[in-house]
Amino acid sequence: MRRATIVSATVLSAGLVLAGCGSGDDAGTGDGGDGPVTLTFQSLAFQPESIAANQQIIEQWNADNPDIQVEYLQGDWASVQDQLVTAFEGGTAPDLIHYESSYLQDFADRGWILDITDMVSSELRDDILGGAWEAVTFDDAVYAVPFLLDAQVIFANKTLLDAAGIPVPAPDDPWTWDEFAETSKQLTDADTFGVAWTLKDPANRMLNLALNFGGGFFEESDGASTVVFGDGEKEAFQRIYDQLYVDKSAATDAIGMGGSDPLPGFFAGQYAMLPKGIWFRQQIIDQAPEGFEWVTIPALKGDSQAQAAAPQTISIAAESEHPEEAMAFLEYMLNPENQALLAKGDWMIPASSAAAQDPILTETPDWPVAAASGEFLEQAPFQRVRGYEEWKNKVANPSIEEYFANSISLDELGTRLTEDGNEILERYNR
Amino acid sequence: MIMRGARTLATPAKYLALAAYLVFLAFPLLWLVSTAFKPPQEMALIEPTIIPENPTLENFRLAFDQQPLARALLNTLIIAGVSALVTVLLSIPAAYVMARYRSVVSRMTTLWVLLSQMFPFILVIIPLFLLLRDAGLYDTQIGLIIVYVVWSMPFALWMLRSYVAGIPAELEEAAAMDGAGRLRTLRDIVAPLLVPGVVAAALFAFVSAWNEFLFALVLLRTPELQTISLTLVKFIGAEGVARLGPLAAAALVATIPSLVFFAIIQRRLVGGMLGGAVKS
Amino acid sequence: MSATVTAPPPTTPRPKQPGRRRTFLGLDRDGLMLAVPALIPVVLFSLYPLLRGIYLGFTDAQAGRNAATEFTGFENYTQLLGDSYFWESFRIGLIWAFGVTILQFFASLGLALLLNQKLRLRWLARTLALVPWAMPPVVVGIMWRLVYHPNAGILNSVLTDLRIIDSNVEWLSSLSLALPAVIVVGVWSGMPQTTVVLLAGLQSVSEELKEAAAMDGAGPWQRFRNVTWPALRPVVTAMTTLDFIWNFNSFSLVYVLTEGGPGGSTRLPMLFAYEEAFRYGNYGYAAALGNAMVLVIAVFVVFYLRRRYREEG
Repeated sequence: MRRATIVSATVLSAGLVLAGCGSGDDAGTGDGGDGPVTLTFQSLAFQPESIAANQQIIEQWNADNPDIQVEYLQGDWASVQDQLVTAFEGGTAPDLIHYESSYLQDFADRGWILDITDMVSSELRDDILGGAWEAVTFDDAVYAVPFLLDAQVIFANKTLLDAAGIPVPAPDDPWTWDEFAETSKQLTDADTFGVAWTLKDPANRMLNLALNFGGGFFEESDGASTVVFGDGEKEAFQRIYDQLYVDKSAATDAIGMGGSDPLPGFFAGQYAMLPKGIWFRQQIIDQAPEGFEWVTIPALKGDSQAQAAAPQTISIAAESEHPEEAMAFLEYMLNPENQALLAKGDWMIPASSAAAQDPILTETPDWPVAAASGEFLEQAPFQRVRGYEEWKNKVANPSIEEYFANSISLDELGTRLTEDGNEILERYNR
Repeated sequence: MIMRGARTLATPAKYLALAAYLVFLAFPLLWLVSTAFKPPQEMALIEPTIIPENPTLENFRLAFDQQPLARALLNTLIIAGVSALVTVLLSIPAAYVMARYRSVVSRMTTLWVLLSQMFPFILVIIPLFLLLRDAGLYDTQIGLIIVYVVWSMPFALWMLRSYVAGIPAELEEAAAMDGAGRLRTLRDIVAPLLVPGVVAAALFAFVSAWNEFLFALVLLRTPELQTISLTLVKFIGAEGVARLGPLAAAALVATIPSLVFFAIIQRRLVGGMLGGAVKS
Repeated sequence: MSATVTAPPPTTPRPKQPGRRRTFLGLDRDGLMLAVPALIPVVLFSLYPLLRGIYLGFTDAQAGRNAATEFTGFENYTQLLGDSYFWESFRIGLIWAFGVTILQFFASLGLALLLNQKLRLRWLARTLALVPWAMPPVVVGIMWRLVYHPNAGILNSVLTDLRIIDSNVEWLSSLSLALPAVIVVGVWSGMPQTTVVLLAGLQSVSEELKEAAAMDGAGPWQRFRNVTWPALRPVVTAMTTLDFIWNFNSFSLVYVLTEGGPGGSTRLPMLFAYEEAFRYGNYGYAAALGNAMVLVIAVFVVFYLRRRYREEG
């Protein structure tokens, strides 16, 4: 009797599944046939200005192209990964997907997004910066069009700088790390820390800073990646550690902060300088109390000012029924004029070189500093390592947090990053 | 005399304890109200104030302008209401069977109840999503209601089963002696005694449906169908940066209806009906 | 799977059952009519995904359009046994689940007892006690991050004013404080549920019995022990069991607060499973982890329920 229930339940559910198998694509998008094609575009735009820019671009396109209508869907950064994974598994993904370059390799390996190498027009190819293209190219195949770039800069409390008599460096003559350490010490007193390093989820940030000293963290041979932790990799760690625990010019209460957490301390003058991404300008402008004066300082120079380019991107779903139409829209959406609008809406740097000259961008606060930082964006080794995400979550983030909490030594950190890390990468190298 | 003395002493202590509990549990409401009326410049103060210095309604305007809040609230109300109703209607009889029949079905159901809660929901999402898609329920509210009912039922069954078990079997046996069948016994004897448990189960089903996010996110695509939790998350951006003002305003608008609903239930249902059922 | 069977061995239905003629699966006609409507959606929409999820734990299923899935038996589990990240998160998961469940139970019992008294504005107090439940989860994480904020947070400022601390505490980024801090949030967010259930249980306690006990000269504590507690016990057992299971399986709240940091000190096992599935695409391994968790929880639950049911007789 008991067996009978289990069997009938199984048969019933199996029947359901089988019944649905043939109709897997009816949940997809697009209409086919002779009517107008409908494309779905999921954007992660978040600031009102940026959402408005997206919608304006789409409305214009829809008016100009009655045969290809684009439907705007709004996603969100916090849950987009879960949503996309499920949607790809279920065949219900949007035709056009806004995301970030670091996830593209996994998505491409899983066959979820389209190789668009041969679909990109030469105008678009020439307009977009080489470094940005590199970030979306894996094994010679292009999987997205990059459009928004972030760059690390330092925001500073202008009043405190002036009081200490510290001049703001010009974009073409940035501070070295030594000068920065010295300045931080100068700005530190009983009420103020020279700098607030916000290091929540620190791996990306630290790997990015290590590029200043040529620290690449990963070596590749025969298609297999291994983690290395030599002098180049150590440098930035040691310097920030010294600021925290030797000079005591960096605030220890800020290391667990992320997002807009450091703003109260920054506005109150507890932190004189705040290293952050260029997009953070918007947060400061939005929330700064009246009379608060601030300035943007160019990224620091180690052996170089190199930074990793991790652009926001738009990809076409592999299961899209109308890839050509989707690409046509993408060409329009990411033309220089529109990229300038989008970059302005999100306070970021456009990947389009023509858009970067657009007055609507060049007139935003401290634009020259932002643009100058953008010039040093390049492809970083960690961006092509398979298994980087797992290495980052399981090994790098936790052990870097322990290092900056002063509970493990730099050598111990190195051992964990390399030995524990290589164990994880091994599975991906097979 | 001694009793009375103890009582007058105990009462202020009780109020004090209750006040401490309520401060701990309900202070977020205060924060929500305060934040909803603050301009952005007051969000990042080193010493945050409770009463905004320059109170503004701008956050509400932005919230309603930029997201279809009213529509989302209505959608959520329907989805959560129907889910709660269906969950309770299906669970009462089944819980009764679980408590009173020693059958294979009772035991299999107990097994399912526990197993379905033990196996992480996050790992069921993809198979469940594929199933609903194949059943033609992608991008429908019915699909979501089904998921919520199935998700709330283990709790409802499990709790109601224990409430039924708490009702003395003698009561029913007496009714059976008078010739009442199972169905009538359930309706006339058991169900009235279950009211507090049913309210708890209905609240649970309602609230879980009201707050659920992930499955609504993957199942619903059409903006007009979206629920309130999907709308709220649109105010949160990359790196956890949130547009706190509009978010708090929208969250307040989403919280007040459930609180009013709770208050009504507390006053009318629990206070009135139950007092009658058990007391007199 | 069979480890979760907790029901007593089958016995013949009670002899007093009236109108019992033909049975199917141990149910008479009335029983079937009562049970079947609930069973249909369960079988259709819960059982299959659940069994599918469990089955995946014995395969090497991977994310991807053309990923071939093979049955691998217990390979995932041998890998799991040697996975030190898993064991560490498992240890944290136990502290979290037991911590939250136990604290939550006592706090809620106290609150439910208070709310069951005849106090002024009781309906308002009962409503306010449900605030954590009514707050959208999206906001909850953001709000608690602000409460715990090291230099602009309300908690540090209150504690400083009360002179309990003299310098700001970094609640969420301290290796030793982060776990206790998120446990408090866990207790907070789960209290309404437990309180409502216990309160409903308290309300079913017969007033006559309590009054009779009072007449016999029993004090409040004796009345609670001898009258209230025995009546409440089935509800307590059921609720603490579910709370424990839920807490063991929860991770989203903690994820919003700390993302598992600092130094992995709040990496709950389900966060681990979630990342395996949705970040690295290892569906098979994640499901195996889920199965292992089911087994572990089942051991605790069976042990607990056995004891409770024996006490209840």
